[in-house]
Amino acid sequence: MLLYDIDVITPSSLDEALEILSSRKGRIKVVAGGTDLIIQMKDGIIPRRDLLNIYGLDELRYIKLDDNDMIRIGALTSFSEIASSETIRHYAKILADAASTIGSIQIMNKASIGGNIVNASPAADSLPPLYALGAVVRVASSRGSREVPIESFYRGYKKLDLAEDELVCEVRLRAMSDDEDGIFLKHGLRLGDAIAVVNAAIWVRRDSRSGLFSDARVALGAVAPTVVRARRCEQLIISKKLDEDSMWNAAKAVLESISPIDDVRGSAEYRREMSVNLVYMGLWELTHRSG
Amino acid sequence: MRRGSAVVKRFSFVLNGKPVEVEVPPAYTLLETLRNVLHLTGTKDGCGDGDCGACTVLLDGRAVHSCLTLMAQVEGRSVTTVEGLLRDSSPDEVQSAYAESGAVQCGYCTPGLIMATKALLMSNPNPSVEEVKEALRGNLCRCTGYAKILEAVLRVRR
Repeated sequence: MLLYDIDVITPSSLDEALEILSSRKGRIKVVAGGTDLIIQMKDGIIPRRDLLNIYGLDELRYIKLDDNDMIRIGALTSFSEIASSETIRHYAKILADAASTIGSIQIMNKASIGGNIVNASPAADSLPPLYALGAVVRVASSRGSREVPIESFYRGYKKLDLAEDELVCEVRLRAMSDDEDGIFLKHGLRLGDAIAVVNAAIWVRRDSRSGLFSDARVALGAVAPTVVRARRCEQLIISKKLDEDSMWNAAKAVLESISPIDDVRGSAEYRREMSVNLVYMGLWELTHRSG
Repeated sequence: MRRGSAVVKRFSFVLNGKPVEVEVPPAYTLLETLRNVLHLTGTKDGCGDGDCGACTVLLDGRAVHSCLTLMAQVEGRSVTTVEGLLRDSSPDEVQSAYAESGAVQCGYCTPGLIMATKALLMSNPNPSVEEVKEALRGNLCRCTGYAKILEAVLRVRR
């Protein structure tokens, strides 16, 4: 299906974009990079609506590390920029790793982190790292702006805590310090450009004296209507001595948190098995790295 | 209601070094504009879904899918297509390397691969084999098996 009868409105500033969103509440759809939205609209997966093209709003393209050790990423920042950013590679490496696996170079050059967040695919590669790093999303409207922790931003399959006049402007995360570590894992069917069958991110804080994990977050994607935290798994790795048996037990505990479906990329049963395997691989890697 | 009657807007951008203006529906893709309006058919329409890379062009110097780029996103920017690589009607070094290495069979993927190669070499003139594979991972070729393509790109390394 072609898009000839769709109008595209291009604002010249964020304020203008918010005004248009406010006046055309619900009757206009925001397009950022468009790498998924254009396909969904061509294929009739989402309703055909006029588009608000924010791709040119360079004021939403930045990566900043502020004085409070917070990393601020503008919503339109592309995954190429995130993957190659020294700040992200140093202070949020699992996000850089996820960004570099999002898709082909062509996709990474255009797709934005804000687009990935709002598109809300359960398989979105940036989301498990954002959950594991405890990211906060800043949304703005002509009424003002507010911040939402990434976990409460998602209320169900593609259901967001985002009003019709609001725009995601920034994602904020705390820079990782030396006692923190993490890993991003993705199982896809093609290395170059694949949607994840399962993806996962693990974040840990190491206690320097005991060498144990004093805190941990484990997040998985593509195995539930939204990305999920594997809280039982987290409990089983915090302040516990991890050996082969206890790592397998913790990895198997992710099954309590996931509810995968069968689809073209894999069966539910396969996803369950791969979830356990990925988390085991991640835990093995993190416990074998010198702290 | 505008169903059936297309909205048309005017867009200005730089195409292969020269300013151009087109009047097209704003949700027309860059690929549709290049092929159907400007009759530059070097850029190929493969999957239309951002999977195959055949439609790759440079947007402000970076490789993107022209099939997933709306004309409204092109306004004011610079686009380079495979036609823009010609110098005095002669192929540039990347195009020549593909020909000389025999990195072309049916040829359908070739313009996209050449543009992805161009983008790589502009940012990294001396890429490693791994870096070449990384940069071209979004371009599918069903004929060559990629060995000759890799050879062609390595031939133009500095």
